[in-house]
Amino acid sequence: MAATIIAVGALAGCSSTGGKRAEEAREQAASGKANVTTPRWKFAMVTHSGDGDTYWDIVQSGAKQAAAKDNIEFLYSHDKEAGKQAQLVQTAIDKKVDGLIVTLAKPDAMKRVVKKAVKAGIPVITINSGQDVSQDFGALAHIGQDEGLAGEAVGRELNERGKKKAICLIHEQGNVGHEQRCDGIEKTFDGKVKNLYVDGTNMPGVQSSVEAKLQSDKKVDAVVTLGAPFAATAAQAKKNAGSKAEIDTFDLNDKVAAGLKDGTIGFAVDQQPYMQGYEAVDLLWLYRYNADMLGGGKPVLTGPQILTKKDAGKLEKLTKRGTR
Amino acid sequence: MTVTTQPGGPDGSTEPANSSPRPPTSDERLVHRSLPVRLLRRPELGAVVGAVALFIFFALVADSFLRPSSLSTVLYFSSTLGIMAVPVALLMIGGEFDLSTGVMVTSSALASSMFSYQMTANTWVGVGVSLLVTLAIGFFNGFMLTRTKLPSFIITLGTFLMLTGLNLGLTKLISGTVTTKSISDMEGFDSAKAVFASTLTIGSVNLQITIVWWLALVAVATWILLRTNVGNWIFAVGGGVEAARAVGVPVARTKIGLYLGVAFAAWVSGQHLLFNYDTVQSGEGVGNELIYIAAAVIGGCLLTGGYGSAVGAAVGALIFGMANKGIIYAQWDPDWFKFFLGAMLLLATLLNAWIRKRAEATR
Amino acid sequence: MNATEDMNATQDPQPHDDAPLVELAGVSKFYGNIRALEDISLRVHPGEITCVLGDNGAGKSTLIKIISGLHQHDGGTFSIQGEETRLASPREALDRGIATVYQDLAVVPLMPVWRNFFLGSEPTVGRGPLRRLDVQRMRRTTHSELLRMGIDLRDVDQPIGTLSGGERQSVAIARAVHFGAKVLVLDEPTAALGVKQSGVVLKYVAAARDAGLGVVLITHNPHHAYLVGDRFVLLKRGAMAGAYEKDELELEELVRQMAGGSELEELSHELRR
Repeated sequence: MAATIIAVGALAGCSSTGGKRAEEAREQAASGKANVTTPRWKFAMVTHSGDGDTYWDIVQSGAKQAAAKDNIEFLYSHDKEAGKQAQLVQTAIDKKVDGLIVTLAKPDAMKRVVKKAVKAGIPVITINSGQDVSQDFGALAHIGQDEGLAGEAVGRELNERGKKKAICLIHEQGNVGHEQRCDGIEKTFDGKVKNLYVDGTNMPGVQSSVEAKLQSDKKVDAVVTLGAPFAATAAQAKKNAGSKAEIDTFDLNDKVAAGLKDGTIGFAVDQQPYMQGYEAVDLLWLYRYNADMLGGGKPVLTGPQILTKKDAGKLEKLTKRGTR
Repeated sequence: MTVTTQPGGPDGSTEPANSSPRPPTSDERLVHRSLPVRLLRRPELGAVVGAVALFIFFALVADSFLRPSSLSTVLYFSSTLGIMAVPVALLMIGGEFDLSTGVMVTSSALASSMFSYQMTANTWVGVGVSLLVTLAIGFFNGFMLTRTKLPSFIITLGTFLMLTGLNLGLTKLISGTVTTKSISDMEGFDSAKAVFASTLTIGSVNLQITIVWWLALVAVATWILLRTNVGNWIFAVGGGVEAARAVGVPVARTKIGLYLGVAFAAWVSGQHLLFNYDTVQSGEGVGNELIYIAAAVIGGCLLTGGYGSAVGAAVGALIFGMANKGIIYAQWDPDWFKFFLGAMLLLATLLNAWIRKRAEATR
Repeated sequence: MNATEDMNATQDPQPHDDAPLVELAGVSKFYGNIRALEDISLRVHPGEITCVLGDNGAGKSTLIKIISGLHQHDGGTFSIQGEETRLASPREALDRGIATVYQDLAVVPLMPVWRNFFLGSEPTVGRGPLRRLDVQRMRRTTHSELLRMGIDLRDVDQPIGTLSGGERQSVAIARAVHFGAKVLVLDEPTAALGVKQSGVVLKYVAAARDAGLGVVLITHNPHHAYLVGDRFVLLKRGAMAGAYEKDELELEELVRQMAGGSELEELSHELRR
């Protein structure tokens, strides 16, 4: 099969626009060399990410960037099941890592093993989720975004834009973080919020459901998606339904950046995943090197950052290279 | 009950008068298969009644459901399912399953997108490569099945898992992220979009081109099933594989052909996915395979093979699409969405089974 | 062009007209170390019924599989019209005029009678992508061919599964006759049938014989065999226990042989009180 692909490739009609060649031409990938004299420490990051999640890709690349600069050997592992994630943490402890970065999506399952790591003298930083329990478990700091706070920020932004009725598009039914975001919007938004559940693995399904919702309720003037890939889909649904609703979204990718620029997307609220990864590694390094801890152990918030049309220009380049 | 009567075309509705070799008495009796009787025997009858019932129901409870734009939305979603449900139904009539269909659609879209992007090739080249890749996956399924004689459930479960992994792994390896890069600025994109993901405006109604693909596939599949010798073989390998083999039906080739048909439809769906959104999420498609199978079963296909119809599968997809979107038009509490959806499907299927039973009793 | 004509074209008489249609001489078959058949001989002539009788495990089904091309023999010779052969597949057997009707596997139950009748040899009309089944001809031919065998079906569109067991066997036989089979191999056609149904099937077997076919009738029922058979081959544990012409044999003797002969006498002795 590979041979076929290569053969066809050789004969292929070429595109003079876009594609890899254009990417190579424009891109100078961010990279760095170790600039410090500290020994090569080993830091592990264990997350609750499922397979193929764009968000965690960006977290990882931030962490790797910091690791490269700080002369760190960086180990990444993930499992969306809490039990297996705990086992991965145990593996890191067994490897005698010099620092541990962990997410606490399901704190109860992680409690024992995180405490064990602390007891073994490994400095622990929690990221992304688990802000409430981070200190109890003995972590040095928490870096992330409070999902509820992010939702509240969206609610306020919607008020400012004079919106009256919003839809909160949940693409993973039962995801606690998603519910918190929508609840946050409801808390501060002066208008009405309705949740709409869709199946995130079926894009045409997402599109037609948003279409159906907009067709059945003409009063809806804002659709908030909880993941960047769904913003463009919602925008298409809005066009097909002939609706005037504004599309807003959590998180960022290159299409959202482009949408912000051309006005198909109103605003995006970002929790800056790159920074979550980068700061976690860098803070651990600072702690080992100089016993420093940012904010004295209080949660370090990386979001919410509201991004609008005026930010679009500089964002586009960054999202394309996969760091925003 | 009967697998195949005429689809109602002029060629089959009456026997010609000059058919000499038969004694006249039996001729009389043959002609008297009336239209209602023939309709009652169609496997999709129950599904059609279920679809009509569901349509009337939502027309009554959801005021926005009957608007042309709403119906177009329902048809669009149904067509994206129906394009796959039709060949899946043929495969099930042939006695086999395919659990890899959902992710195969994504694989097809990824292959097309990444080839075009990485080679900086005209998007049509990527579309062509994707067809080869997708057909190769279908051939692999069929070949493994006929070679190993293992249940298709196991074989395609393996393919399903492998493709899920390949979709993620290869996309990340090649693109660096789990989403493909946008190919919307590349040559050939606009013409390919016109073929796979455009909108046709008829009067004031916007219809997605997937609806055309859907109807075309139903027509071709029905023709193959009812009017060609291959169709005869499909019913035979599903309904009695040993009997089919004993009279010389090429069983292995028929089954491989069915898997290639599924792969072709996965290619069409995959290209739609790509050209509609111009990037592809590598994790998409998981779980859709069961919806395709469900649509085929709602449409009257037997899980055990040998019985069913392409029209039925299309109507099954329509039922699923109507239930799915109708709940939104009716503005029911979204927390209960899945429950309503499940209950609707169960009701439609029960009605379907009941009708079929009644139809059999009147024979 | 259509399939029926193709079939007939491949079955034009070959040079050895006087040779038996099928002849097995000293045929053996082994599955690993296990002897399934050893030194079996039988001949099938046109217009004659050769009965193969034997108890369960006597090697009847192995014999069928060799004649119908599903398995190949390990020893001895297998000739079709005097020409020594080794059949590679059931399709090749069919092409050479040997049609086999299996007990349970003769038809596809959910398919209509007419589709079953032409399964695997469907006539078509039109060209290229418009090539399609000649449905009217298929329906008509099915009806008239069945009528010729004495089966009067009200509706050839009914699923064949709705017919009785005897009728299904009869349709399969009629199909073999229509497609120009010269040798008809019947695997226990009456095994699962009641007395009346068995009579129906035997009538069609006789009809096929009268149409000039050579018939191999596999059965464990000596009464049925004696009614229609011209030659009798008895199998016992994979070997020949006897070969007779009809005039050499009384029904009582056949029944005694089939019932186990001396073994039965011993048994009756043991069971006596």
